[in-house]
Amino acid sequence: MVIMTKVIEAENLSKTFRVKRKEKGMRGSIQAIFHPRTEEIRAVDNVSFDVEEGEILAFIGPNGAGKSTTIKMLTGILYPDGGGIKVLGIDPSKGRRQLAYKIGTVFGQKEQLWTHLTPYDNFRFFGAIYDIPDGEAEARIRELSETFELGEFINTPVRNLSLGQRIRCEIVASLIHRPQILFLDEPTIGLDPVVKENIRSLIKKMNRELHTTIFLTSHDIGDIEKLCKRIIIVNSGQVVLDDSMEHLKYHYLNKKIVELKLQEEALLPSAEGITVLKKKGGRVKMEVDTTVIKINDALRQIDAEHVEDINISNIPLENIIMEIYNTKADRS
Amino acid sequence: MLTAVKNQLRVCALSVKYNMMREMLNKVTFLTNILFMVLNNATFLVQWMILFRLKEDIGGYTMDEIMLLWGLTASSYGLSHILFAKAFSLSDLIINGKLDSYLVMPKNVLLSVITSSTSTSALGDLLYGLIIICFFCFSIQRFFLFLLFTVTGAVIITSFAVLMGSLSFWFIRAEMFGQQMLDSMINFSTYPDGIFKGTVKFMLYLVIPVGMSVYQPIHLMVHFQIGRMLAVLGYTVLLAAAAVFVFYRGLKRYSSSSLMSART
Amino acid sequence: MKKYAVIYRSVLMENLQYTVNIVMSFISYFIFIFVFIHLWNYMYDSPGETIAGYTKTQMIWYVIITEMIWFAARTATVTRQVTSDIRGGNIAYLINKPYHYTFYILSRYTGEWNIRLPIFAGLAVIAGTIMVGGLPDFRAVTLLASLPCIILGITIHGVFKLCISLMSFWIEDSNPFQWLYDKLILVVGTIFPIEIFPASLQPLFKLTPIYTVCYGPSKLIVDFSPEKWVEIIVAQLIYLAAGCGFMLFIYSKGVKKLYVNGG
Repeated sequence: MVIMTKVIEAENLSKTFRVKRKEKGMRGSIQAIFHPRTEEIRAVDNVSFDVEEGEILAFIGPNGAGKSTTIKMLTGILYPDGGGIKVLGIDPSKGRRQLAYKIGTVFGQKEQLWTHLTPYDNFRFFGAIYDIPDGEAEARIRELSETFELGEFINTPVRNLSLGQRIRCEIVASLIHRPQILFLDEPTIGLDPVVKENIRSLIKKMNRELHTTIFLTSHDIGDIEKLCKRIIIVNSGQVVLDDSMEHLKYHYLNKKIVELKLQEEALLPSAEGITVLKKKGGRVKMEVDTTVIKINDALRQIDAEHVEDINISNIPLENIIMEIYNTKADRS
Repeated sequence: MLTAVKNQLRVCALSVKYNMMREMLNKVTFLTNILFMVLNNATFLVQWMILFRLKEDIGGYTMDEIMLLWGLTASSYGLSHILFAKAFSLSDLIINGKLDSYLVMPKNVLLSVITSSTSTSALGDLLYGLIIICFFCFSIQRFFLFLLFTVTGAVIITSFAVLMGSLSFWFIRAEMFGQQMLDSMINFSTYPDGIFKGTVKFMLYLVIPVGMSVYQPIHLMVHFQIGRMLAVLGYTVLLAAAAVFVFYRGLKRYSSSSLMSART
Repeated sequence: MKKYAVIYRSVLMENLQYTVNIVMSFISYFIFIFVFIHLWNYMYDSPGETIAGYTKTQMIWYVIITEMIWFAARTATVTRQVTSDIRGGNIAYLINKPYHYTFYILSRYTGEWNIRLPIFAGLAVIAGTIMVGGLPDFRAVTLLASLPCIILGITIHGVFKLCISLMSFWIEDSNPFQWLYDKLILVVGTIFPIEIFPASLQPLFKLTPIYTVCYGPSKLIVDFSPEKWVEIIVAQLIYLAAGCGFMLFIYSKGVKKLYVNGG
């Protein structure tokens, strides 16, 4: 067995924000002048997790769950109120600058590139920021532009690029200094499916070839399903799930969806563990709980003679995650 | 250490260059901005022509010295806005959590922030100052002093802007206040110091740094005195150091603060 | 008409939140006046002297009032907001709304200065009285009569600034023109009364917006006469009508251009 080194260790992280409140209407406006009211929000509440070298980790949760706050604490932008962090052995709140040389960040919604310059000029700028000698910067740009297939547009001003090309350049810009960890915040937001797929395969390639650890947040289930081996779900500032993708699927996939097209006169199967979700004419959709009834027993319940078509599938990951969001939100 | 400084300066120079390139994308807008700013500054000559019709000397200044005052104010304001324009909107960056992207960079945060934008019209200000010194009050010595004081003045204005902007690390309302103080600084630096007396004069050296950014330099360009010269240089260094110190104290607070409504 | 009243009211409410900021922006105003008091103290040799027919107290109060109008009318709504709406393409959505864009902007503008003016006026009167003393021969009736002139003055100012901003339909940056207009008002109109300029220039200034925006209202408060009042009100109404006509004209031209070129 290979011994993995931990590149991120977060222990009992906490961060509380105070936000302003204003009551409705003219009265509220006047009141706010004299008695501004504030409210405390625990953005991150006792969060602990580790990330190992070379992992691709999905860090997900609904809006306002504390994802961004956590990333900001991991990169040294914010200091935690409580708990400890070690990223590549460095405490981000103490060695922010030192850490900056070793990590990269891409925020899908925020642009770090100069739009009036070509990607090439931009990369040279980032090379200068990370103190990379000219010759070496040149070599790295060549290498990265090959890996990320930027050849065609490396000399076109960024403002004339498509969103997909732009994101690719954003990623390359944050890889110029060969970071050991890359923080990707919503990298595929607003992209069309083809470009999304392209970006995903590039992220995979980068992880494979450059051994970059990837810390990804996304609302896109496709990103998570296709890229990540491990998933951490946060909600209301707490970790509600930290598991391998495989395990998650196995755990939550004890339900199967069976869709049938039956001839009119067929009988509906009825047994414990089978729930009919929808029925319209001959079309039936049902859920089978395999912890109650084995799938072969369930199939035996079906009036096979009258089946015109059958389709058995897993519950989509999206639904699983939504279910986790909902149930865990109720609990807190 | 030396290479670190060299690298830092290289990044700053690149920033300023790229900012300028962006402004120059539209040549017409770029040039009208500069030209109109020169005109804009020139309109104030009307005010002084009127005033000098009423009296021959105003606060101990002749018309030439008023022009020198305007020239130096414009050029130092111009230089600081060409190189460090973002220093003047520091409050906005702090309040809206926009410093984040500078914090993940391995370079000096303050320098990266303030060099991250430029102002085209500021070129007009700088140009106006140079026109005044070259065409209206030229002498070799004066010209070089003018250049030197443009630089010290720019450093003083920028430092003051950073100090005022940094107040936002502690007080939300400070944005407005800082802006007022900066406006007042410009306002004071376009009037001769001779019209102020006593405590007010004192305040112009201690609270609003116009005394050392314009008044003393003007006196020095008329009558050179080495002692006063050193005072101006020393003051410039001190104020810049204070600005850096306060900004970094504030930055620590920014990172540990909990009063960030816009930041989630 | 009612929808503009609703816009006005909501802006008024929004701006109440910024009362503290407005009070703070009085610092700039105060320093401006403060510098002027020092300047005029220096310029007037003896207390009884008059310059261009103004005593020192009148001269300073003239500036206090013109600057009050200037500061009260200083909002980004008629300038930055309009330019960014037009240049940023937001205008395409706004022209289809069931109101006229220019009146929408003016309602917002009015909501803003309606908060700023009373605050500034109150503070300015206090500051002025303390620093230079009250105006001699001042009567409350004067103020009451001058009030419509102040309101008209600020409105005309807004219309003109809006007109300049509407130039953004054709040019990328209308700011340089704003500066020039501002400088005209500020340098020629607010810091001196028109009488101080050479006699040959004075008729010319009467034709510029200076006369209706700042000189008129201020002159009336400092040195009231019924004939002057009628003259200024009439000039202001003509200006307002012409200004609005011009505003609607270039707006419709601009929108037409937008439809042809698609922004």
